[in-house]
Amino acid sequence: MILVREIRKSYGRIHALGGVSFAVERGEIVGLLGPNGAGKSTTIRILTGFLTPDAGSVQIDGHDAVSDSSEARRRIGYLPESAPLYPEMSVSSYLDYRGRLYGLARAERRRAGAEAMARCRIEDMARRRIGHLSKGYRQRVGLASALLHNPPVLVLDEPSNGLDPSQIRETRSLVRELGESRTMIVSSHVLPEVERLATRIIVIAGGMIRADGTLSSLLRGGGEARFVAEVEGPGDEYLANIRALPGVRAVRAEPLEGGGWSRIVVVAGEGSADPRPMMSRHAAYLRLPLRELRREEATLEQVFLGLADADRPGTTAVPA
Amino acid sequence: MMGPIAIARREFASMFRLPVGWVVMALFLLLTASVFVLTIAPGQPASLRDFFAVSAWLLMPVAPAISMRLLSEEHRTGTAEPLLTSPVSEAGVVVGKYLGGWLFLLCVIAPTLVYPVVLWSISDPKPDPGPVLAGYVSLVLQGSLYLAIGTAISAMTSSQTLAYLATLFPILGLLMLSSLSPGTVPAWVEPVVAAVSIRNRATDFARGIIDTSHIVFFLVATGWCLFAAHAALESRRWR
Repeated sequence: MILVREIRKSYGRIHALGGVSFAVERGEIVGLLGPNGAGKSTTIRILTGFLTPDAGSVQIDGHDAVSDSSEARRRIGYLPESAPLYPEMSVSSYLDYRGRLYGLARAERRRAGAEAMARCRIEDMARRRIGHLSKGYRQRVGLASALLHNPPVLVLDEPSNGLDPSQIRETRSLVRELGESRTMIVSSHVLPEVERLATRIIVIAGGMIRADGTLSSLLRGGGEARFVAEVEGPGDEYLANIRALPGVRAVRAEPLEGGGWSRIVVVAGEGSADPRPMMSRHAAYLRLPLRELRREEATLEQVFLGLADADRPGTTAVPA
Repeated sequence: MMGPIAIARREFASMFRLPVGWVVMALFLLLTASVFVLTIAPGQPASLRDFFAVSAWLLMPVAPAISMRLLSEEHRTGTAEPLLTSPVSEAGVVVGKYLGGWLFLLCVIAPTLVYPVVLWSISDPKPDPGPVLAGYVSLVLQGSLYLAIGTAISAMTSSQTLAYLATLFPILGLLMLSSLSPGTVPAWVEPVVAAVSIRNRATDFARGIIDTSHIVFFLVATGWCLFAAHAALESRRWR
């Protein structure tokens, strides 16, 4: 597992991380989200041992990332953003080299290399020079290299960078499969990818964790629910009736173009009764035609933008 | 130990896969061959003294050309990230990188062994083997030191050009310092100049004298430079 306690990092006067703490258990796939300059890359680089934190500690599978750095690093498979590789090497010689760095014996290197290439579907590229490969293939070579030593912890920075839609789908299913038996952190700017992959999402902005929870808990983040109805008219009486419903905090009517229809947006407080049955009954009672009635789900994008823009100290922890 | 060896193997092999390795080797051999041919004169005693003197100066541009990419290229291309997040320590990375460059330097020097063989076969009386052996020991020791200076500087920058130039000038300074005549510097500086003089040591080697103190000087200086490279690499984790 990964245990991060109060890590802080500054680059000169710039505070990149201001006390970040979280834990990732085995079997969890954590999506790390954050705008550029949020501290996401710094967090990943500290986790993987590339950078040393100014304060705080990181434990990888029980090994401290600073005092027991070599053992901690041995337990991590890391795919850095844009998968930096040596262009003059062939795919198989690169994987063999990486196997040597992790101390794998010759037979083990061959077996692990073949297995990693098969998993990432790059067997046909084994003899090709990395510099001659497309961006998508290079990304897969980087992923194969991260899997090579069968690490219990995987840290993938933008794993679908440069892949085409079918490769993204394959990579996603591979990552999901790998995540079942490992501790995994996936950083990505592609929100739908994080939505589909991650079992938990951490949003970092301004060097702080702004949210930490499952996707559904993030989407419920504000504790409010929004309901939308499209009603012909409606008269003031209908809106007054809806406002009077228990738990309703706000009602807003927006006229729609043509035909005298309006869009009614109802905001209800957390834990209050679903207002939809009463909204439907009141419309029927006042003989108002109702053509749509639904609960409006917040998207991850809306939640992300809201959290990323928040420039306030402290941590907004969203219960899982 | 497997990690540093893997790094050394990769570095050594990459020098042969890149044009810079072949260009460095070709230029060094072309220039040393020219000196060898031009300095053979009928009736003169067979000697490689001029060859060694010129080769030692040629190491000044050759060693930085080998060392300039050792660590700076890793930082420029981002490959430092997968390398420094592997279980190999910073010391292991420095040793591996240096060893790879050093083996390539030996490959650059090794073809010149044909010159003493040619000299041996065409000259009468035969050349004294002592100065030849000492000359090669001197070349390797000087090359090792320059390469270590270059490795330390390569660890400090992500620009190959800067790494090359910043290595060239300290080596040039070291050689120029060695060339200062007594009396041109204050008396208290003279012992310092004598202590770091590469030229005086090279002169002893050229005479066929393999002095242990000279060998220790080069080994200690090389070790210090590699330690500086290690410190520079480690400091990057704290930036």
